[in-house]
Amino acid sequence: MNDKLRIKKLYALSSENRKFSFSIPLKNKIRIGKRDYVVQLRADEKHGTYILWKNRKYPVEIVRSRQNKYEILFNDISYTFTVETPFSLQRMKVLNSKKGKAEQELLKAPMPGKIIDVLVREGATVLRGEPVVILEAMKMQNEIQSPVNGTIKSVMAKANTNVMKDDVLVEIKVE
Amino acid sequence: MKINKILIANRGEIAIRIMKTARLMKINTVVIRTAVEPNAMYLSFADEVYDNTADDSEIPVFLNIEKLISIALKTKANAIHPGYGFLAENAYFAQKCLENKIIFIGPSPDALYKMGNKTIARKLALNNGIPMALGSEGNISNEEEAVAIASKIGYPVIIKAASGGGGRGMRIVRKSEEMEKFFMIASKEAEKSFNDPSVFIEKYIENPKHIEFQILGDTKGNIIHLGERECSIQRKHQKLLEEAPSCALDSRLRKKMGNMAVRIAKAVDYYSAGTVEFLLDSDRNFYFMEMNTRIQVEHPVTEIVTGIDLIEQQIRIANGEALKIKQEDVKIKGWAVECRINAENVQAGFAPDPGKIENLSLPSGQNIRIDTGIQAGSSIVSSYDSMIAKLIVSGKDRKEAIKNCKIALDKVWIKGTKTTLPFFRMLVRNHKFQDGSFTTSFIEKDLDRYYFNSEYEEMLAAWLATKLFVEENLEEDSIQIDFENSKVMSPWLLNKRVNQF
Repeated sequence: MNDKLRIKKLYALSSENRKFSFSIPLKNKIRIGKRDYVVQLRADEKHGTYILWKNRKYPVEIVRSRQNKYEILFNDISYTFTVETPFSLQRMKVLNSKKGKAEQELLKAPMPGKIIDVLVREGATVLRGEPVVILEAMKMQNEIQSPVNGTIKSVMAKANTNVMKDDVLVEIKVE
Repeated sequence: MKINKILIANRGEIAIRIMKTARLMKINTVVIRTAVEPNAMYLSFADEVYDNTADDSEIPVFLNIEKLISIALKTKANAIHPGYGFLAENAYFAQKCLENKIIFIGPSPDALYKMGNKTIARKLALNNGIPMALGSEGNISNEEEAVAIASKIGYPVIIKAASGGGGRGMRIVRKSEEMEKFFMIASKEAEKSFNDPSVFIEKYIENPKHIEFQILGDTKGNIIHLGERECSIQRKHQKLLEEAPSCALDSRLRKKMGNMAVRIAKAVDYYSAGTVEFLLDSDRNFYFMEMNTRIQVEHPVTEIVTGIDLIEQQIRIANGEALKIKQEDVKIKGWAVECRINAENVQAGFAPDPGKIENLSLPSGQNIRIDTGIQAGSSIVSSYDSMIAKLIVSGKDRKEAIKNCKIALDKVWIKGTKTTLPFFRMLVRNHKFQDGSFTTSFIEKDLDRYYFNSEYEEMLAAWLATKLFVEENLEEDSIQIDFENSKVMSPWLLNKRVNQF
């Protein structure tokens, strides 16, 4: 509890590495230039939850939250932030400097659907952008492409089976 | 026989669109309630609802020819309107209607068959002197043949499904090494989608504009065109925004292309509404692509600039009436654009994002037309397309239509799924879109970002994430929110439902 009380600032880090800092206790005001603008979180029957800012309503949703990670849908656009305290931010910086490149790539189904065809076998080499699996969803066949150059380590996807969103299709060893 | 009751063999916004005109013409309508969407909005617009929720067949009823015929006979509907998609371009279905003395509101089975088979359509076009891209004489049976033809006409080429449409079963091949893979993919997709693996090859026209002409023909042999639509804003051959007219055409080119469109329609004695699609290259050469033998999703933009109700014309033509409109009567006035607001995640490559629509508020006004089959509480189900609504906005010219569209887009409020709205908000602000120089490769090549957000939106979202973190981690009290009706409840709990499918 004492730790919590000492926190003077929080940082929201976007997935594109932009940093927004807010002083704690968090105010319902945001300073732009020399003026403070009131930001309000509200909800009603007609709109659901929304943010009121400069006399305009923006639809907002919390799509996902896990620990300090939040996916926010703001005016129909999705943003992912991790909220860090000054301490955790410092720790993260140290950790990041030690971490190397990912060695494994798990290729996941981007949407629920049916596997039409698997175009690779275990041990095959793939190039970035090469189609690996064909997934049919909502009447369209989609080529799921390899995001990296590498070797296929294992193949989980089977033709003519249904997959859920985020099911792992293949595991690729990154070169 | 005159049409007095129409069975609508479709769902969603097009079912409602057809019923609106039928009501004006004092014709009764029947729709079908399905187990997938037992409370869909279109059901409330009909004079009669046929309950098919007990149907446990694997085929959706809108694709089940025998079933549809039996429903029409049972409900004493003497006509069927197929809408678009499903059986709209199925010659066998049209033939079955005919055999059962049910009026098919669409073209003849013969025209459906000939235009539905792209290789036959190509031959017809060639024989009638319609400009065409170079390509294979007929279908090709293997990749060796494909490589041989491609090396003759030159890469890039496009593989297309003979029975195809709507962008499925198409692949662009840029070099011979890619042929084997893409030939297989295209052929498989064609078989899966159209029950016909046949494909053919055409020279691929780089960076064209997609220009299509609306055709109306009657059973007396009169055929006219209602001007063009431009549908170059598309992704993987799926149209996202359409407009009428097109800024790429002047009156001379319009007349020339319109005449060609009428000529190809005459080649199959076309009647009802139809669309002739062309590609227009940067040197203003145009090439016949295909004819769509149905009412199209984007028909409203033509209705707005011509003032002609296309569904009414379809019904009158099906009744055997002669066209009252002459070519010289058709006047294009103003400009109209249509945004297809779909339940898709623009930030994830336009992946479908089905789900329940929690809140929905759509703008209205003099310049705005909304065609939708969705209301708050409706679900976008993965068995059907992902359309939520068509936002159709007009103005006296293109500039004004785009300006009005920009305003209207900010008044659309949809919660429950991700939508294509951020894409359109970006599009109406894009200079290349505004100046009209865009082509079908616009989305793939000219955009580095698929959405628009104003300066402070990300910061506000960051504020919200921080607020959540504070409430979950730093405060002992539960969440206090400024509710208008002073109801105390946690929206976070309410909102965790989104994306839980």
